[in-house]
Amino acid sequence: MQVSGSDFLARSKPLVRKLIGLLSTDYGQVSVLGTDTRGKTYMVSGTGIEINDYFLVERGFVVRIHNGVNYSEYSFNELSEEKLPGIVAEIKEKLHKTAPEITVNAYDKFEEEEITKQFFSEAEQDPEALSPEVILRSLTRVRDMAAALSDQIVNFRTSFNYIHVSKIYLSDKKDLEQSYLTCEARLFCIAGRDQVIKSAYRAFSGMKGCEVIRELECHYKDVVEDCIRLLDSKPAKPGMYDVICAPDITGLIAHEAFGHGVEMDMFVKGRAKGAEYMGKQVASPITTMHDGAAAITHMSSYLFDDEGTLGTDTVIIKDGILRNGISDLLSAQKLGTAPTGNGKRQSFERKAYTRMTNTFFEEGEDSYEDMLASIRFGYQLEGLYSGMEDPKNWGIQCIAMLGREIVDGKFTGNLISPVVMTGYVPDLLKSISMVGGGLDLEGAGFCGKGHKEFVKTANGGPYIKAKVRLG
Amino acid sequence: MLERIRRILMNQKDITGYKICETRTQSNELFFIRKNVDMDRAKTVHYFKVTVYVDFEEDGQRFTGSSATSLHPTMSDEELEKAIREAAFAARFVKNPAYPLEEAGAQYRVLPQSTFAKESLPYWMNEITKAVYKNDRYDKGGINSCEIFLERIDTRVVNSRGVDVRDTKYKCMVEFITTWKEEGEEIELYRCLEFSDFNGSQIESEVERMITICQDRAVAAKTPALEHLPVILTREAVREFFGYYYSKSNALSVYNHSSSWKLGDRIQGTAVKGDKITLTLDPFLKNSCYSGGFDSDGHALAPVTLLDQGELKGYAADIRYAHYLKVPSTGAITNVVVKGGSKSAGELKKEPHLMVAAFSDFSVDTLTGDFCGEIRLAWYFDGEKTTPVTGGSVSGNINELHHEIYLSRELWRDNNFEGPELVKLMKAAIAGVTE
Repeated sequence: MQVSGSDFLARSKPLVRKLIGLLSTDYGQVSVLGTDTRGKTYMVSGTGIEINDYFLVERGFVVRIHNGVNYSEYSFNELSEEKLPGIVAEIKEKLHKTAPEITVNAYDKFEEEEITKQFFSEAEQDPEALSPEVILRSLTRVRDMAAALSDQIVNFRTSFNYIHVSKIYLSDKKDLEQSYLTCEARLFCIAGRDQVIKSAYRAFSGMKGCEVIRELECHYKDVVEDCIRLLDSKPAKPGMYDVICAPDITGLIAHEAFGHGVEMDMFVKGRAKGAEYMGKQVASPITTMHDGAAAITHMSSYLFDDEGTLGTDTVIIKDGILRNGISDLLSAQKLGTAPTGNGKRQSFERKAYTRMTNTFFEEGEDSYEDMLASIRFGYQLEGLYSGMEDPKNWGIQCIAMLGREIVDGKFTGNLISPVVMTGYVPDLLKSISMVGGGLDLEGAGFCGKGHKEFVKTANGGPYIKAKVRLG
Repeated sequence: MLERIRRILMNQKDITGYKICETRTQSNELFFIRKNVDMDRAKTVHYFKVTVYVDFEEDGQRFTGSSATSLHPTMSDEELEKAIREAAFAARFVKNPAYPLEEAGAQYRVLPQSTFAKESLPYWMNEITKAVYKNDRYDKGGINSCEIFLERIDTRVVNSRGVDVRDTKYKCMVEFITTWKEEGEEIELYRCLEFSDFNGSQIESEVERMITICQDRAVAAKTPALEHLPVILTREAVREFFGYYYSKSNALSVYNHSSSWKLGDRIQGTAVKGDKITLTLDPFLKNSCYSGGFDSDGHALAPVTLLDQGELKGYAADIRYAHYLKVPSTGAITNVVVKGGSKSAGELKKEPHLMVAAFSDFSVDTLTGDFCGEIRLAWYFDGEKTTPVTGGSVSGNINELHHEIYLSRELWRDNNFEGPELVKLMKAAIAGVTE
């Protein structure tokens, strides 16, 4: 089925056009992004059930104006014929009013191309057409089956979220509209024995519908098994190890190592070392890395970003050489590059920054069996917990759920946890010695800029072999 | 709008209760690159979050189903009705054990008005900017970029049991990056300040402190392999560390079996060598963006002690989970106060140690107690000299080491946390960069 557009945004278009007209008498360039996001979160655990609106639900507008020197923005969520004069008055009263002694960066007006375009994503099963009872029944069934597997399970949780995003972008030259549906489902297990408590999870996501819930049935046993075995896990002895990264950890490395590292608003601030390394080798020659809303269909695929720029496919690293960065509109103007459609906002209330979309390493030619056989002592790292970027100094911190011990090319059954991987980005990327086939992305989590501005991204790649420091 | 929503709720025969949280936020925002404004923003947004409750009985057991939905001011009456009807329908399938709603009649403490209320938001934006940049006066480094957000938030909570309470809060966030360059490459550090009242000198000194420690990172050596060396956590990491105790003593965690802590437990064990932890929740903590007289249920808040000298005295419990665990409801309070320890900062730093000034991200798993963080800057004291170091990581498990931790007498306050400036861990693992 094709995802439907927003009636509200369609109804609002004439008023938004009128607002643009009113503001255009005072400001050189005016654009408006309108959003209408619906979504629900469903959760079933041994101790409770929840059905609530997803926290990304919103409906509002952000106006961007060129104030004669640079750009200013105003976000609001009340729009009617009667309120238009008030909105215009607020914009005039509140924007571009800093004290005269505070200096301001200048930006030219953007040269926009005339464009009218729409995008509506496809999905198999529409969650908005299903009764909450049906969704809860599916989640409860899997939860009950999982909880029955071991008396060491303290709690088991299944959850499902859907986000139906609708946006319009209007300016004197652009008329863009898009609506897309993304869904995510999770298995989360807590197990305990004596004083030890551990958790394990698996998440499934994509630009798809309720069909994502089916994946829970295929994997709940694995999650329970991992969680029980984690009760006997030990932390890794600090040191350097040969590791195989599962696709979610490959994606985490891509994201933290060179995703954040090539966000070009950081180039403008002089906060990214990547700017000095364009055209230079930063990774093993067998690695190629992409980012882009149009690079693949997943959680962060769209027609246009939150500044009205069409999404693209950016090749960041080609055969180990750093080739391109990703950018929002303002950064691209400052740097004299073409915008890549990576200007994203946490919500209509927030500023647009350069953000990742779908970030992944291309698949390679090595077989997984050869990769495993090549390791004398090491670990296979799985389960993305968190990561932290350091684009300026290229430090990296990644936390994984577990590491499976490998001795002489075979799994021993021992697990390590927690797994903390730190290091220097080029050392880590240059250490990639094998890249497997297949490509798997995951986007159930969120990406922050520093410690805020959370947006949806997807990350992934194939299995890779690398040498990393675990602590 | 609130009356429109209330009218629709009253006409819903299926629901047995409701709660409406209304917020109206006005903000001004400035985004700087070095000393120049790169963009300015403002916003005025109005939200209504409605929770509907449905009481029902099955097989002799009583349930309270609920579902929360966001209602937008641009919704027509038909859209509002549809959203509320759908939430009411969904709530029928949410089989949670019955619990009561907050009742009217509580006495709410009114907090003193913020200084921010005395002038307009743009006025304060300029004052904050001046304070942030006052000490940015060095050639080799300073503020690389900064974002300032100042919000006025008007909140009203109304429910079907007659609760109707409102307040006005101010929330300021100053996020800045400092950089420094010596002979090697330029380095940077991150800091985010949050507060509800203006204190210019505090902003100025925090910027100065970050510039100063940035200088140390610029000349830092790689962290060596350091076994069996005490680790001293500072400031933000200290707050994260005590977040574990806050989470474990939350009634929700206990009810969900994420915490096995029981009232009367000596959570640091019975043979404590170091300082015992005393942790209270103070909803009236000065200059916290999270201070207030009521929570999102409309529950009247008051200070409460959770841990006293290492013993669990109470749970942090909102009305639902307090009812489930049959303990008093404290409401949802997020201001944490930890009492200082027996030793001064100087005494804690006397023996060889690694004191971490900044992590990339100090992460604590509130389920397991595992913690870790990549070192952006630490000071390694070998007993004679102090060397700034960078890289590598610190990790460990709180349960395995909190029988011997030492808290500084000196306190530190940052938004919703007040506690020891330093915490000394005797058995954390350090992964050095040089082997």
